[in-house]
Amino acid sequence: MNPAHLHLLLNHVPTIGFGFGIGLLVASLVRDSADLRRASYMLFFGVALVAIPTYLSGNAADFLLRTKRELPRDVVTAHQNAAMLALIPMEIVGLVSWLALWHSRRWQQPAVLALSIMTFVLMARAANIGGQIDHPEILVAGTAAYAPTWPSPAATGAAFVLGHPWVWPICEVFHFVGLCLLFGVTLLVNLRLAGFIGGFPLGALTRLLPWAVAGLGINVVTGMLFFLAAPDQYTQNSAFMWKMGLVLLGGLSLLYPTMLDEAGDSTFDILHAAVTRKLIAACSVVIWIGVIFFGRYLPYLGTE
Amino acid sequence: MTSVLAHLEQSGVATWIHESGLLYGYPLILFLHTLGLSTVVGLNVAIDLRLLGVASKVPLASLDKVFGLLWAGFALTAATGALLFIADATKHASNPAFFVKLVFVAGGVTTVALLRRRVFHDGERGAFIAAVSLACWFVALSAGRLMAYVSEFIS
Repeated sequence: MNPAHLHLLLNHVPTIGFGFGIGLLVASLVRDSADLRRASYMLFFGVALVAIPTYLSGNAADFLLRTKRELPRDVVTAHQNAAMLALIPMEIVGLVSWLALWHSRRWQQPAVLALSIMTFVLMARAANIGGQIDHPEILVAGTAAYAPTWPSPAATGAAFVLGHPWVWPICEVFHFVGLCLLFGVTLLVNLRLAGFIGGFPLGALTRLLPWAVAGLGINVVTGMLFFLAAPDQYTQNSAFMWKMGLVLLGGLSLLYPTMLDEAGDSTFDILHAAVTRKLIAACSVVIWIGVIFFGRYLPYLGTE
Repeated sequence: MTSVLAHLEQSGVATWIHESGLLYGYPLILFLHTLGLSTVVGLNVAIDLRLLGVASKVPLASLDKVFGLLWAGFALTAATGALLFIADATKHASNPAFFVKLVFVAGGVTTVALLRRRVFHDGERGAFIAAVSLACWFVALSAGRLMAYVSEFIS
């Protein structure tokens, strides 16, 4: 499978996933069901995570295709900007959904509903423009479905990083701050899950989790700025692919401690609770160490 | 002084770090340095947050065991840091960011020891030490990360 395949595979997930998520959220309102509501939040959070490699694989596909034949550059650029314009609110929906799973508040449901519908429309627009890259026949003759007057966050972000020499180093600093927050807090939670520390309910420690998610958020933003400034450096690097795959898994693994109730019980305990916890804690620690490994090896591995 | 640094840089250890290839040499040491520092700083930040009022229902006594792992992380960071210094001794010794980093690492490590003794054993509240600890690690992390850019700038 090459990057163009991967992009074609992944690019359906955000639109269809958000469609399902909105359906579930509306159904939860109609039937006043907490289970449906939580299912929709989990879906939004997961899709927001998958949307990141989806975006990245777009640049990889572009790199591959442009070496083989001529692509309509204006359409590709418009698609990238439209995709980033959809990705930003999508990540916000993911974040609010996570907050709602962690601790339910009244404002979250209408906020997620409104934002997810807006995101869905923006995502559909990005998909439509993307479709025109290889299928110009879907256009009505003489019209362009993209308007150059729309905001172009991908180009703006790249210009911001490339135009100011201090931005990259500052982002590196905060990428490490985010890494320490994420790794430290998840490590402590995992030590409790595995039973290395104890003597208090797990629910008490999960109060720290927003700091891990803040670290993840900082790293998604700073990481995306690196990527926007030098996409080819990353898409042509196999260590980066591994790192992004592990970030996706690590992000999903945050759901387990997030959804523990006050007493520390979980609906995810398929095996014996203590076994499930040790397994999840071990996987989570290994995943984040793997993320650090591939991140650090990025300049050395995978570029030959 | 310069001769000592040059001597370090030309030592067998330095040659080994630079020339033992992708998986064993410089990249591996750099990875272990990052793993160690994220363990030290990350765990200490989590404890600092607890002392500043986050997750206040977690009893402090139960976190006492974490210090063992924290010190192990520090040992790993210090050992790999020494190797990284040997590998490029003259370059690092002329880099002001390196000295800022060392000073604030010392500050951060002091707060770890103080937290253990004054807060975990003597029962002080520790909010002030926690705040100082967060600040020290932030500066140490920033200076460490900016070392590469500062050395590029001054050379």
